[in-house]
Amino acid sequence: MNKRGEFGRLIFWTVLAIFLGLLICYLFLPLMGVSPSLAFTTMVTGVFSDKFTMGNILIKTTPLILTGLAFSFTYKANLYNIGAQGQFYVGCMGAVAVSLRLAEKIPGPLVLILACAAAMAGGALTGFIIGFLKAKAGANEFLVSMMSTYVVIYLLQYSLGSWLQEDKHEYLKTNSIKKAVWLPKIIDGTSVSLGIVIAVIAAIVVWLILYRTTLGYRVRVTGQNIHAARLSGINPVREYMIAFAISGAIAGLAGFTEINGMQHMLLTDFESSIGSYGIGIAIMASANPIGVIFAALLFGFLQVGGTVLSHSTDAPASVIDLMLGFVMLFVLMSFFFRRRSELRAMKKQALTKEV
Amino acid sequence: MQSIINLLTRAVFMSTPLILGALGEVVSERSGMMVCAVEGIFLGGAWGGFAGAYLSGGNLLVGFLSAMIVGLLVALLYGFTTIYMGQHQIVMGTAVAILMTGFCTFFYRVIFGTPTSPLKVSTLKKLPLGPLAKIPVIGQIVFSQNIITYIAWILVPLISYFIFRTANGLTLRSCGENPEAVDVAGINVRRVRILAVGFAGILGGVAGAYYSLCNVGMYTSEIISGRGWIAFGICFLGNWNPVGVLIYGVIFGICDALGNYVKALGTSVLPNELFSALPYLLVIIMTALRRSFNVPAKLGTNYIKEE
Repeated sequence: MNKRGEFGRLIFWTVLAIFLGLLICYLFLPLMGVSPSLAFTTMVTGVFSDKFTMGNILIKTTPLILTGLAFSFTYKANLYNIGAQGQFYVGCMGAVAVSLRLAEKIPGPLVLILACAAAMAGGALTGFIIGFLKAKAGANEFLVSMMSTYVVIYLLQYSLGSWLQEDKHEYLKTNSIKKAVWLPKIIDGTSVSLGIVIAVIAAIVVWLILYRTTLGYRVRVTGQNIHAARLSGINPVREYMIAFAISGAIAGLAGFTEINGMQHMLLTDFESSIGSYGIGIAIMASANPIGVIFAALLFGFLQVGGTVLSHSTDAPASVIDLMLGFVMLFVLMSFFFRRRSELRAMKKQALTKEV
Repeated sequence: MQSIINLLTRAVFMSTPLILGALGEVVSERSGMMVCAVEGIFLGGAWGGFAGAYLSGGNLLVGFLSAMIVGLLVALLYGFTTIYMGQHQIVMGTAVAILMTGFCTFFYRVIFGTPTSPLKVSTLKKLPLGPLAKIPVIGQIVFSQNIITYIAWILVPLISYFIFRTANGLTLRSCGENPEAVDVAGINVRRVRILAVGFAGILGGVAGAYYSLCNVGMYTSEIISGRGWIAFGICFLGNWNPVGVLIYGVIFGICDALGNYVKALGTSVLPNELFSALPYLLVIIMTALRRSFNVPAKLGTNYIKEE
């Protein structure tokens, strides 16, 4: 089986799955009085007609790359970090707290570095607690990480009503952070900030860690065969905690890029589904850090496309989740068919060799 | 005293959907299938239940029946892709949750448009059990609930009997412990599992509809907000045992009621958010503290038949 054929199959089945997922979703649109063909053209022309909207894709993609990476990293250790949403919020709180308190007291770039560090540390700590409970108390990390998100959501609500609340004390949100501590914009005529660059670099770094360092090797061995890992002197319990802390730090970093790069303040229900989208992205990319970038771009495109669609036609905004849900479902199913066609090809190859 | 009785009555009331959802989860997890789509099933049930009841002019029976159907369909989608197509259970659960979030909101809009004031149905009435309801204290807390609550309680011993005392129950458990052996005995592991998942879907649908039809009488997209996962957690904490589920269900019902109670009181020294977060915190603490779990050996692993 050559690698090229495998890659070709991957592209073929994934594109087919995305197409079918969107098609099914569009077939529901006539119920809202929107014709599927109109929806398709509106989405494509609407997104690619002006620079600003195209930039929005990159903006939506930024945090998704990071939450996708967060899930991928633990996935490699055969762990499930479903709590990226919570780690992201803790990261947001860290970034916004540092940015609000330190802006104009010390130079902007220094504040940015500190905010970034605070966001990653906050996320890492949240992740570490989950990993710790898994490693030392044998708790089910899936359940604990799931629940941690809800705990953090209420912690966020409490914080936004107390120590982080804006000066008027009316709404559950923070003050806007000063312009000096915004991440610089990198493309004229759009709101795209340095965040996307940070996210892409993060993906490359995660790839390097996983495949070019002993740390990554230990994490992957733990994930593939825990007994083999133990016999070769790797302490799986330690790897659990490390993997979760790193995963949390990546999700926390998304908090930094969102607060300092995009929203410039923190409010309730902020980007409330990037955690679960991240899981979908990681799986579509088979947890490959570089693949995550492309899967996140697809999700970003569908989100922006869905927003355009709901603004310019009668389709409701919920069409975004409908599209993402169907696309995810079909991509997951395509894995099954791809595997089957691969097996068939392998059998054929074996047969021809025998002859 | 009266306020404590009211609190406990409310606690029992709020524990019902958690118990129902967790019971379904017990049955399917005993067969080796985690129903990670539980959040999506709850949401589908809440939506389907409300739509059915509203469109039939407030007929709650129609509501609960349609909730069962929606729950079953969502569970079958999940079961088919995981059992027959070998997809990962946790991942599929997330995909189904995203899909259902979009689906329910979209079709609420398709069916009801954008009403100016929220659409409502009258909630399910309480059904005091004659003389039993007259017993002081217990009468109000236990015997003046609605019919779904009573059904949930009856299901506890029934499911317990089924799992531990019948031949089919043994088959079910074997599918979760040693599917190869079940296969060798000539029983179709996949069929047992999809039936179990379907059952969890039906109960989950009713549980979801409980929130829309018994609690508030309307549907919003935030109606479930993690309650499905709590039911999932209760199944773990209850050690995959219906009686354990009942106990933990009531504990979480008290948590839920306490949050509302404190909010209504409004004079607490502790922040309200702490009480809202209590059920979730409790799951974390309890899973961390528990030492021995009776986890089905093959829980979460798909059974692939050797060819």
